[in-house]
Amino acid sequence: MSKIKGAVVVDVDRCKGCNLCVVACPTQTLALTTNEVNHKGYVYSYMAQPDSCIGCSSCAIVCPDGCISVYKTKPATAKPAVVADKVEIVSGVAPLVNNVPVEEEREVVLMKGNEAIAHAAVRCGCDGYFGYPITPQSEVLETLAELKPWETTGMVVLQAESEVAAINMLYGGGGTGKRVMTSSASVGIALMQEGISYMAGAEVPGVIVNVQRGGPGLGTIQPSQSDYNQATRGGGNGDYNVIVLAPNSVQEMADFVDQAFELAFKYRTPVMILTDGVIGQMMEKVVLPPYKPRRTEAELVAECPWASNGNGLKQRGVNVVTSLELDPVEMEKKNLQLQAKFKKIAENEVRYETVGCEDADYLIVAFGSAARISEKAMSLARERGIKVGLFRPITLWPFPEAEIREISKTMKGVLTMEINAGQMVFDVRAAVESQIPVAHFGRLGGIVPDPEEVVNALVEKLVK
Amino acid sequence: MSELNNNTAPQQNEELQNIVCPENLVHSKPALLNDQTMHYCPGCSHGVVHKLIAEVIEEMGMAEKTIGVSPVGCAVFAYRYIDIDWQEAAHGRAPAVATASKRLWPDRLVFTYQGDGDLGCIGTAEAIHALNRGENITIIFVNNAIYGMTGGQMAPTTLLGMKTATCPDGRQADLHGYPIKMTELAAQLDGTAYVTRQSVHSVPAIRKAKKAIRKAFENSMAGKGSNLVEIVGTCSSGWKMTPEKANAWMEQHMFAHYHVGDLKDTEVNREPVKL
Repeated sequence: MSKIKGAVVVDVDRCKGCNLCVVACPTQTLALTTNEVNHKGYVYSYMAQPDSCIGCSSCAIVCPDGCISVYKTKPATAKPAVVADKVEIVSGVAPLVNNVPVEEEREVVLMKGNEAIAHAAVRCGCDGYFGYPITPQSEVLETLAELKPWETTGMVVLQAESEVAAINMLYGGGGTGKRVMTSSASVGIALMQEGISYMAGAEVPGVIVNVQRGGPGLGTIQPSQSDYNQATRGGGNGDYNVIVLAPNSVQEMADFVDQAFELAFKYRTPVMILTDGVIGQMMEKVVLPPYKPRRTEAELVAECPWASNGNGLKQRGVNVVTSLELDPVEMEKKNLQLQAKFKKIAENEVRYETVGCEDADYLIVAFGSAARISEKAMSLARERGIKVGLFRPITLWPFPEAEIREISKTMKGVLTMEINAGQMVFDVRAAVESQIPVAHFGRLGGIVPDPEEVVNALVEKLVK
Repeated sequence: MSELNNNTAPQQNEELQNIVCPENLVHSKPALLNDQTMHYCPGCSHGVVHKLIAEVIEEMGMAEKTIGVSPVGCAVFAYRYIDIDWQEAAHGRAPAVATASKRLWPDRLVFTYQGDGDLGCIGTAEAIHALNRGENITIIFVNNAIYGMTGGQMAPTTLLGMKTATCPDGRQADLHGYPIKMTELAAQLDGTAYVTRQSVHSVPAIRKAKKAIRKAFENSMAGKGSNLVEIVGTCSSGWKMTPEKANAWMEQHMFAHYHVGDLKDTEVNREPVKL
């Protein structure tokens, strides 16, 4: 047998000449080149004294770039090398259950909007809820804690340490393909914008409920609609939009949860249910949606082949959920793809409702709780002989711009009624293209306008 | 693989060629660490830690059941090098991301890979609370006492007196506060199962660090609670030293503040160990 016992092969193109292998070598076998460099311009490691190599692998162990392979002649008695442990790794963490509770009669029940959101989440196959208490939405998490869905459907419920953590849990859960939801109120939603932007950028589905309260800052715990701009413009950094659904009743609170999940997964994007303290706290009759089982792993993988959960890695290759791309050409391409997706959403997902617009001279545009008040204002105005119709956008983004433009053609004026200082009014003005006057009426500070005020504002600002 | 391009005599070369054959291979890059050249600077500790993680996942046979969460910082591109599924988290939020992944996929191996700025500064809340809840995840925490990616600014773990771009005269307690010991903090939390501080500057240290990672990953899968493996590392570029000198400086200065060893192992003792 030759006196040479070992040999080192350096992947020259990976080597960065850091010298750590040279230092680690106990037999001074290795050295760095002095004149020669690799294709990246680095000097590299080589066997300067091949005679002395004992195949100890020290160089390969310390190499930060994994560029060294070590070979060693083995004595005849050597045991075969163990390539990998054939140990079956069994998880000690209990698997999630997935039982659909026996369906009770779908009866009419009385509950708060926030409670309806929680019940609907469990019933529509939601896999996880992550939230942080804040008024006026805390009943969502409280109701889930009482329903204990982890014992029935297997839905995970977790009180996070902050809204920042909650939205990042949403990003994490959604990134693995699960149906996940969070809820908060204005101040907390402001904190979540980082995560919402990440979700939009990395195309991660998820449902965010915003039970709005007044601002700015800590503001008030009373209802408001002053997050309209934040919700409909994306809210965080970068060019993106979030689909925004605005329920106007406890029934819609329940119904929109499943619709929001469907949209979120159809387009791989975050969807917001933008409601407020009125709808969240108000008790109304509601028929809860029927139970739908959570998806099995096979169903999830079929629906979300992009998700980062390890399933089928060898067949499909690595899945990476990220919003990062440093190559500007690639990043522009990615942004254009996102914009194309948003355009598709805008073309296909506009939802709205009209009431009494056929013979109307004046139009009130209002969403959510303001629409409920405006409906009453409409009938009061008609009692006074003013023909008023109501247009209620259900999707605030995409905004029903063309529909408002069309319907306003026969109107003399439009009043937007929002519980804010005037935010949607700009979208309505853009929609009607300055053909008719568009005025705004709203109350601030947590005051909910009464229908009489709305009629008075309409008369004063438009009818005269 | 390159040729045997050594300055050796023809006879020697022939002997070497005889050794270099598949049956004699005793050590090579783990297959999970792919062929892409890593963007790290020469001698960077991240490369060794990546390699160890790839080796452990490979040896546990968990490649198709692992979810890695990469941070913001130098290791943001960890997902380019280890061939498993990844999610890239916002700065500091990796433990929150991992919390959801693990709770929703209890049979998966879920780990985060975070630097000192990510874990010890902007993400302190997420790290502490995930560890305290006893999430069955592992946090790999690479502490090189500097912000590498943004160009060498002060980190929460920067040692007193250590010069960085944002403390050019050296870190001073009255101006900048004290270097934080996240791992000691983590050891105090009831949710943690295994909390250890390791390094990757020498062959024995690397072997120990690998064992620590393996133990942490096994704990995560066994549902024993949260695991934190701190790796005290170097940043030759940020420290403005050669990799060799950086290792020596680390041993002399970093280890004096960040003592290496197991701080808590619930298999042995419930209470944290004072190092």
